[in-house]
Amino acid sequence: MKLTGIEAKRRRTALVLTAPNVLFVLAFCVLPLGVLFSYSFFQVDFVSILREPTFDNYNRIIHSETYRGLILKALIYGLGVAVLCGVIAYPLALFIAKRVNIYKSALLTLLLIPLYTGDLIRIFAWRVVLGAEGVLNSLLMWLGLIDEPIWFLLFSPFATTVVLTYNYLPFMLFPLWAAIEALDDSYMEAAMDLGSRDLGVFFRIILPLSGPGLVAGFLMVFVLVVGDYLTPQLMGGSSGVTVTSAIHDMFGAAFDWPTGSALAWLLLSSMALFVACVVYGFYRSPWGRGIRKQDK
Amino acid sequence: MKNRGGSILQGYAFAFYGFVYLPILLMGLFSLNSSNLIAFPLTGFTFNWYVQIFNDGRIFKGLLTTMAVAIPVTLITTVLGSMAALVLTRYQFRLKPLFAALLVLPFFVPKLIFAIAQVTFLNDIGMDKGLITVWISQSLIILPFVTIIIASVLYKIDKSLEEAAEDLGARPWQKFRRITLPLMKNGILAAAFISFVLSNAEYTVSFFTSGRVQPLSVLVASDFRFHLSPSLNALAMLIVLFNICIIIASEWLRRRKVHQ
Repeated sequence: MKLTGIEAKRRRTALVLTAPNVLFVLAFCVLPLGVLFSYSFFQVDFVSILREPTFDNYNRIIHSETYRGLILKALIYGLGVAVLCGVIAYPLALFIAKRVNIYKSALLTLLLIPLYTGDLIRIFAWRVVLGAEGVLNSLLMWLGLIDEPIWFLLFSPFATTVVLTYNYLPFMLFPLWAAIEALDDSYMEAAMDLGSRDLGVFFRIILPLSGPGLVAGFLMVFVLVVGDYLTPQLMGGSSGVTVTSAIHDMFGAAFDWPTGSALAWLLLSSMALFVACVVYGFYRSPWGRGIRKQDK
Repeated sequence: MKNRGGSILQGYAFAFYGFVYLPILLMGLFSLNSSNLIAFPLTGFTFNWYVQIFNDGRIFKGLLTTMAVAIPVTLITTVLGSMAALVLTRYQFRLKPLFAALLVLPFFVPKLIFAIAQVTFLNDIGMDKGLITVWISQSLIILPFVTIIIASVLYKIDKSLEEAAEDLGARPWQKFRRITLPLMKNGILAAAFISFVLSNAEYTVSFFTSGRVQPLSVLVASDFRFHLSPSLNALAMLIVLFNICIIIASEWLRRRKVHQ
């Protein structure tokens, strides 16, 4: 009797702590997304919005090669940058997790500084470096290595890729680092004792066991890059037309909220579908063995 | 063999941090260069660009708006984030994964889509854009960061202390007030610092929900979309230096052991 009383009280406290957060997110994030969804079925009548449900917007987008291409382009950028981040971040995550003792927290803090400083300043710094009359070009010319500025440095897919990778590296590094840090050293020692060499230990022990961290980082970077709006806008120049900038246009100058909403929701669904496929694939793969065991 | 692998990794780490900090350092270098052009060769040392920023009334006004946004956002997110972190680390219930997913949802929805969802929502309920709408939308995006920081401190707290308080007859509120809160205080403070920094830096969502009250980030973004200037370098550098202080303080607090 007494125990159930305590249990009931605990439940009440949990509810009191949970409810404000749930209500806040439901009211100001889920509900607005729902409103956006409803707009995707409306139509535009000159300067006002006609609230008669129709599938026209979706039909038009699905049959338009331009929009399909833009969504595909966003997904490809997401995939490419996520792979790039994984390759670049992996050695550093390994280094911080297993080779550093005293400076560990300093090295991790150094990674947080650019992350928290915000995309606007990071992009600004890169524009200073990559501009046609910018730091890198002027340095190369001053040193006499080139005769005229390398134009493709700024306002190009190259610039966009560099800055996207730079922006989202920490989101790959932290899950990877956490996964490798949690790895028990005795596995590696056992493998060494049994005659495995450095590379063998890496490919047969470290890499498979850090799989969940790698996938978590991969998906985070993928989702963030697909949804990124500022970087292609400010670094890509004429190549900076993305699905997000198209959506922005429809909410700005073009005043076509319904088509913009439909495009936004198609982007969200294709992202969610991709993420679901990766998670399911990982869960079924040999690397997902650790997670499957925990579930049982 | 092992040592060679180690020194390769060490060299790689150096190169990595160079790549991460080079743009920021160059920005700093050219904020002190006297030439109007942001290009080599360097022409001479000056503090003029900084003086210009300090004398710019428009920037000062933007800074005030930024504060009027950041302080309430910090309060909202640390209160809600503390509650959420307590739930995530101290209670077990069936729908907990769903609760966690709901919390991080605003972070994973692309910022632009989140922003236009706000626009349609405000339009439908007939609410004007202003300070309140920025507070709400920024808080949603920043809440996941704050929750994770506070939760990371709560995970490390020895649960036996709280259990002992319960065994000795403390009521839930007493237990929280006298045991949990003092132990998580550093985490809350660390999270508040980060919340403040993230609010200052936020651009995309503020741009769509701020209307006529323009925080510094929105003001400056329209400047540098069209031209770069050394005084913008100076401003960016000031913001970076400020952030570095706050972030180091925050990380120090978060990792510190609490002594009774």
